[in-house]
Amino acid sequence: MDIQYIGENLVPRTIGHLGIVLSFVSALLASISYFISTQKRENQPLSNSWRSLGRWSFGVHGVAVLSIIAMIFYVMINKRYEYFYAHSHVDDHLEFRYIFAAFWEGQEGSFLLWMFWHVGLGAWIILRGDKNAWESPVIATLASVQVFLSSMILGLHFGWGEHIIKWGSNPILLLREANDAPIFAQADYLEKIKGSAKGLNALLQNYWMTIHPPTLFLGFASTTIPFCFAVAGLWTKRYTEWLRPALPYALFSGAILGTGIMMGGMWAYEALSFNGYWAWDPVENMSLVPWLVLVAGIHTHLVARATGHSVRATAVFYILTFLMVLYSTFLTRSGILGDTSAHAFTEMGLEWQLVLFQMFYVVLSAFLLIKHYKHIPNPVKEEAVASKEFWMFIGSLVFILSVVFITFTTSIPVYNKVLGYFSEIFHFKKPNFTAPLDPVAHYNKTQLWIGIFMGLISAFAQFLRFKEFNFTSYKTPYLKNMGIAVALSAVLTGLGLTWIEATAWQYKLLLFAGVLVLVANIQYAVTFLKNNPKASGSAVSHVGFGLLIVGIMASGINKNWISSNPFAMEGLVNFDKEQMGKYVLLMKGTPLRIKDYEVTYTGDTSHNNQRFVTVDFKRKDKDFKTTLDSFTTHPYFIVDKKTGKLTQNPDTKHYWNFDVFSIANLPAGEIDPETARKEEDSLKYIHYDLAINESFKPTNQDKLTPQYSIKIEGIDKNPTHPKYVPEEKDVALGVKMVLTDEKGREFRAMPLVLLRGENIYQLPATVNEIGVRLHAEAELFDKLFMPEKELKFQSYTLKEGGSVTINGKTVTIAGVNPNAVPKGFKVEASDLKLGLQLNVKAGDKTYQAEPTYIIRGNSPIPVRDEIEALGMHFVVSKINPNDKTFVLEIAERDPKTMKIPIAIAENAPKTDYIILEATVNPGINYVWAGCIMMMIGLAMAMFYRIKQS
Amino acid sequence: MKTIHIVALITIAIGIAALTMQAKDVATYSNFSEAQKSTDKVKVAGKLVKSKPITYDPVKDPNQVSFYLTDQKGQEVFVHLLKPKPQDFELSEQVVVTGEMKGEVFVANEVLMKCPSKYKDEEIYMKKNKKE
Repeated sequence: MDIQYIGENLVPRTIGHLGIVLSFVSALLASISYFISTQKRENQPLSNSWRSLGRWSFGVHGVAVLSIIAMIFYVMINKRYEYFYAHSHVDDHLEFRYIFAAFWEGQEGSFLLWMFWHVGLGAWIILRGDKNAWESPVIATLASVQVFLSSMILGLHFGWGEHIIKWGSNPILLLREANDAPIFAQADYLEKIKGSAKGLNALLQNYWMTIHPPTLFLGFASTTIPFCFAVAGLWTKRYTEWLRPALPYALFSGAILGTGIMMGGMWAYEALSFNGYWAWDPVENMSLVPWLVLVAGIHTHLVARATGHSVRATAVFYILTFLMVLYSTFLTRSGILGDTSAHAFTEMGLEWQLVLFQMFYVVLSAFLLIKHYKHIPNPVKEEAVASKEFWMFIGSLVFILSVVFITFTTSIPVYNKVLGYFSEIFHFKKPNFTAPLDPVAHYNKTQLWIGIFMGLISAFAQFLRFKEFNFTSYKTPYLKNMGIAVALSAVLTGLGLTWIEATAWQYKLLLFAGVLVLVANIQYAVTFLKNNPKASGSAVSHVGFGLLIVGIMASGINKNWISSNPFAMEGLVNFDKEQMGKYVLLMKGTPLRIKDYEVTYTGDTSHNNQRFVTVDFKRKDKDFKTTLDSFTTHPYFIVDKKTGKLTQNPDTKHYWNFDVFSIANLPAGEIDPETARKEEDSLKYIHYDLAINESFKPTNQDKLTPQYSIKIEGIDKNPTHPKYVPEEKDVALGVKMVLTDEKGREFRAMPLVLLRGENIYQLPATVNEIGVRLHAEAELFDKLFMPEKELKFQSYTLKEGGSVTINGKTVTIAGVNPNAVPKGFKVEASDLKLGLQLNVKAGDKTYQAEPTYIIRGNSPIPVRDEIEALGMHFVVSKINPNDKTFVLEIAERDPKTMKIPIAIAENAPKTDYIILEATVNPGINYVWAGCIMMMIGLAMAMFYRIKQS
Repeated sequence: MKTIHIVALITIAIGIAALTMQAKDVATYSNFSEAQKSTDKVKVAGKLVKSKPITYDPVKDPNQVSFYLTDQKGQEVFVHLLKPKPQDFELSEQVVVTGEMKGEVFVANEVLMKCPSKYKDEEIYMKKNKKE
């Protein structure tokens, strides 16, 4: 029997499913039409009509992709949790600005993002017009990629013998279609699953996650275009003609992909705890590798355009770039990386589909290259050793070496998997290679040399000439220029070494290579390009590369842990600089001197699911007297909704020439609820019932605990607590206490007791100075929300301004408040509210209370208020609109009979400290500036080449 | 043979040499008895002895945690790690420490750990096999 589900909106599902099928079919049709159009290119009219069918299909494909995206956004923005994708990636707390991040958190969303950019790039090529008959072969190839990508979101399941083959994962499935659970047999399941939405991973709730993924995916998508041109060139036997139109696209791709990778580094630096921008994580590596191959291709491409050499290499490199993008997709999305990467996607059962995707293009590319390789023109005359093209080609090989080194180690999980399959067939032991223990040292070891060679080659090659046939005549000016560059760089490196504390000679050499490429390219731009500044893209990029190396060296080697306390290490045998502690303990409110800084941990605040600590930094002069600079950082923690564990997040203060990076850790009991529970279990609590405003001296159990007295000042119905994140319908009570020690010092504390749903939670408060932990006990609810019948109310009819005196206490209606906010009561927007502002005078003290009369719909809800200190309770039971009088019910009870149940434990672990790690990172901005210059250089070259072609 | 081919071959040779060097990094661990003989820093992989105390008192010194570790040969050594206690340290399955022996104590300044969640698949796999 079909169930009529309540509250579902099935329109997006219908449109989305239609869009998915249509996007797949239309991509297939576009690819086939363009394919036939290419094959029949001799027959112009026939080719053209196939081409127009292809254009229409591609247009339909674009609309279909956009409509799928629109539907997913619709269900996410409107929090339609009947949809699996919305339920998995958003929740009620998610701020609107993170909706994009939530969209591409899932595999399906990021596939769609990739498709979206392919559609955009394809549309650009089609709309520019088909001047030289490149459209058909290029879009035929591009559309074929779209066929594979569309298939990733098809979500078809079909039987294959005993197995069920899953073909793609549909992003617009309903929750009840994606899951099989008894709850979905109920028509009103939507009501029941309220609040179960998973939301967005806390680490991705960062503005970088809004701009980094789309840029990176535009980068990935744009590598397809040079690939399509290379394929088109081979396919239509125009072996060199494709180079001219493809060059701007390749440069565009280099700039965008590079920017996307750089943004990833910026995100890691700003949001992750490892205090760096690059960790050689497999996912990072596999985004860098395609870029490196692409840049190698751009270099040979320029050689090919200038000299006719390296045409084959260019085709091979662009094809390889695209294949590396596919390999990268496979590694990060198949789940194969497993534990080796911090941010790969989890397994979705698409592994074989991804393998097929890759293999199709590997076979296709291999076929085309083998078939046409011999026909690709290659000059018989070999390039001169002193020519630019020779060294640019060698430089490209260095890029490829870098790629091989990186891919070799990153692929370790693949070797295990592949050899694992063979081990089952050939019965040998299943291999289990593990990734290097210290990936940073491992990769740096080889990439250091890559950096040195790239730096040296690009500096020495920049002054060489293309098609050199007479180097002897050019020798003198060349040597002169290089001599100046080398001499200048040597001096600058020497100066740099007084700043950058590089001890190993390899590091010194790398720094020299970086400075040399920087100097040589500035010199090159000044000497050769002053008449043609538009052509200086290459110089700008290479200066950026030099700057990047300098920045990497400075920020890596000169990273200075200011959070170390040299005094703590004195007297240790074999004192070793490296072993000096990198972390310091800061007691709340106590300044600590660390290196040139005075740091103070001043506060702790909570906001939503984040907890911030405030650390004041003061930079001092040599004598540590004058404050040169002061600033505050807020390292914070994100509370995991499911486990309650806290994860650390840094906060960085930026200056133009250095950063101060800070990250904090809290006491174990604050970080992990499990530890907190253990701590609590080990404490011995003693229960007390204390009257309000009465001082009490507990008998100490432990001799180490000083004598103190405790007094309860009252109950707070809107309490705050560092660990308390308020939720709707919570009832929270805070017991305000003041503890006084022997010296007369007063310490305030407020433990909480919380009623959430059917559970009661206790949030203790610790007075670290005395070493006691305080609990508000659960019985407080019974005591405070004492049934109305136990109170003896008396009715008084009063007007505004009127008063009544009961047992020497005068109650006056001081005012009427239509915007009353009753404590501990959830007001709805449609409620009519009326609060009576009461002033109660007892002796020489005046107290306030505000009982509120609420009308919800047609029924009145009187909300009680009380003054604990006096034991008085107030209820507004009636309003007479005719004579403007109020019926006020007042009950009195001796406050001394109202006892507040609390519990006290001695020897409580301290909670008022943080462990701080702080570093000064000099030169980090050179890293960013270098990257940005590289991208600007690529973009400049792109505009220059667009004009040329 | 063209010059460029020779250079390309040299590049490939360098590449192969570097790769073999790189391949050595693929996880080889030392043990405590080797560490005793060595004057350099070594990496020792082992298991945390969960029955013995893990001492970390940040109020005293936030940069020191001590615990017992059994290396792959089964030798148990007291380890003095000069770092704060990593999160979820008690849950770790495998611990890798970098440092040197000083007398009977291994003084480490780097630590890497593998947590059980990462072995989940294998655990499930093992459970399945046991049932059958």
